[in-house]
Amino acid sequence: MNGEPVVSLKGVRKTFRDFWLRPTVNAVDGLDLAVARGEVFGLLGPNGSGKSTTIKMILGLLAPTAGEVSMFGLSPRSLAARARLGYLPELSYLHPFLTARETLMYYAGLCGLPHAESARRTAQLLQMVKLDEVANRPVGGFSKGMARRVALASALIGKPELLVLDEPTSGLDPVSTKEVKTLVRALANGGMTVLMTSHLLADAEDVCDRIMILNRGRSVAEGKVSELGESLEDFFLAKVGNADEFVLADFLA
Amino acid sequence: MRRGRTIVFATALELLCEPLFMLVLQAALLLSAVAPAMHYHQFGEASRMARDAGLSAILLCGATIAFTGPIRTFRREIETGTAQVALAHSVSRTSFFLHKAIGCAMAYGVFALTVALVSLTVVNGAEIGGRIAEKTGDIARLWGPSFTLALAAALLPIVAAAVLNRFARFRFVLTANLLSASIAILSALYRFDAALSIRLMPALALAALPSLALLAASAAFAVRFKANVASTLSAAVAIMLLPALGNYCLSDALAQGGMIPWTYLACATAAALPAIAALLLLGVHFINGRDLQ
Repeated sequence: MNGEPVVSLKGVRKTFRDFWLRPTVNAVDGLDLAVARGEVFGLLGPNGSGKSTTIKMILGLLAPTAGEVSMFGLSPRSLAARARLGYLPELSYLHPFLTARETLMYYAGLCGLPHAESARRTAQLLQMVKLDEVANRPVGGFSKGMARRVALASALIGKPELLVLDEPTSGLDPVSTKEVKTLVRALANGGMTVLMTSHLLADAEDVCDRIMILNRGRSVAEGKVSELGESLEDFFLAKVGNADEFVLADFLA
Repeated sequence: MRRGRTIVFATALELLCEPLFMLVLQAALLLSAVAPAMHYHQFGEASRMARDAGLSAILLCGATIAFTGPIRTFRREIETGTAQVALAHSVSRTSFFLHKAIGCAMAYGVFALTVALVSLTVVNGAEIGGRIAEKTGDIARLWGPSFTLALAAALLPIVAAAVLNRFARFRFVLTANLLSASIAILSALYRFDAALSIRLMPALALAALPSLALLAASAAFAVRFKANVASTLSAAVAIMLLPALGNYCLSDALAQGGMIPWTYLACATAAALPAIAALLLLGVHFINGRDLQ
């Protein structure tokens, strides 16, 4: 890896606790990870494997129980580090009372952009995600796919150096999914570093340069997609275990 | 600065878009306009009735806005994840909390200003109308134009907002609330008796101070606890504040045609500000110490 990694985790552990501070679950357990500048890095794993928890520790939303997390060599809570970040959450968290235009202006404001620049980028991004015709409607009435596009545009409004995408194609139809994948590749080709999570192997295969597979909070494999063999699905199942079939005989009898 | 301003305006906008805010505002306006009118013919103390109804509306309905607004906006931000997205930007948790609290206070300000101006209009109308009635015996003058204006501030915006929503896609609740505030400002120009209005100002301020303390408490609890726990704790604060909530009842002075001394208002403010600051600091401590999932 050339240069300092954009994102670095060393021996990170996250244990959630209940009200009485008793440990309830080890969501992440001794994770080491480094994302190089300009690459598209995928965190893969089944549901509950610790992908979103890892992302939230990188964003500074969750404090690690042990270990060290850094972004651009700084603490994730550092404002200077977060000024260079764009984040698309797993669900499109939007203020339903704001219109699409106001939503983008709001996030542009949080990035500290001047009003004129915010308006210019908002118009550009609305056109890019094909929502310019409904720009003045409250996003509370949008379909899941439209809300996803608004959220994606919000993540890009500050022209981030690091884009963190949590399940970016969640809720999108096949056409929109392809558009998002093409967009991610184009952004990466333009020099942006992308860290994404997914449990859809096709997403990782099409977009990622390098992946890490998580299972029960631990890394079980890491490497370039091209080096993992012919079928990512076979590789994935070998690492996290094959699916068990539901026992339906008693229920159906 | 721009980041803070963005959070303040988005929070105020969010609360002004809430149907609950509109219902409480309309209830307060109707209470200030209609309640005194019901008694005009029986007791003969029209302006006192109008004043007490207005102050009660600001106090009770204002406390409702101060209580529910921060809990609803903070819990919604944290539970739906919009707070997490905002905090993934270069916004500190302290700044986020304080600016959202200011946004809540701004929404409360719109409420208090609207109701205060409508109350002043009704009190002014009753006072001046009362003098005319004494001379002419025309009792309808007591509640005629000023009462109509107050009622218009409550009801006209609903109709206008519905029309604007139907034909121009304006946001119904936001439009209704802003129109109410606009009519209230215009209504204050009607038969404005500056001396009387200045006489009532300290009473209005005394009614607002405990609500702002309640607002700070609700904001602090909302970032740490779930909505039901935050509501319970805020209710406990409201109960502790109850004696202070009755502050405006010092209006014996008002009833006798005098005013609450400005020094008393200064002392009350000096007592309220440290309490508000302490509650906001508690909120800052809570938001900085918690995980945001």
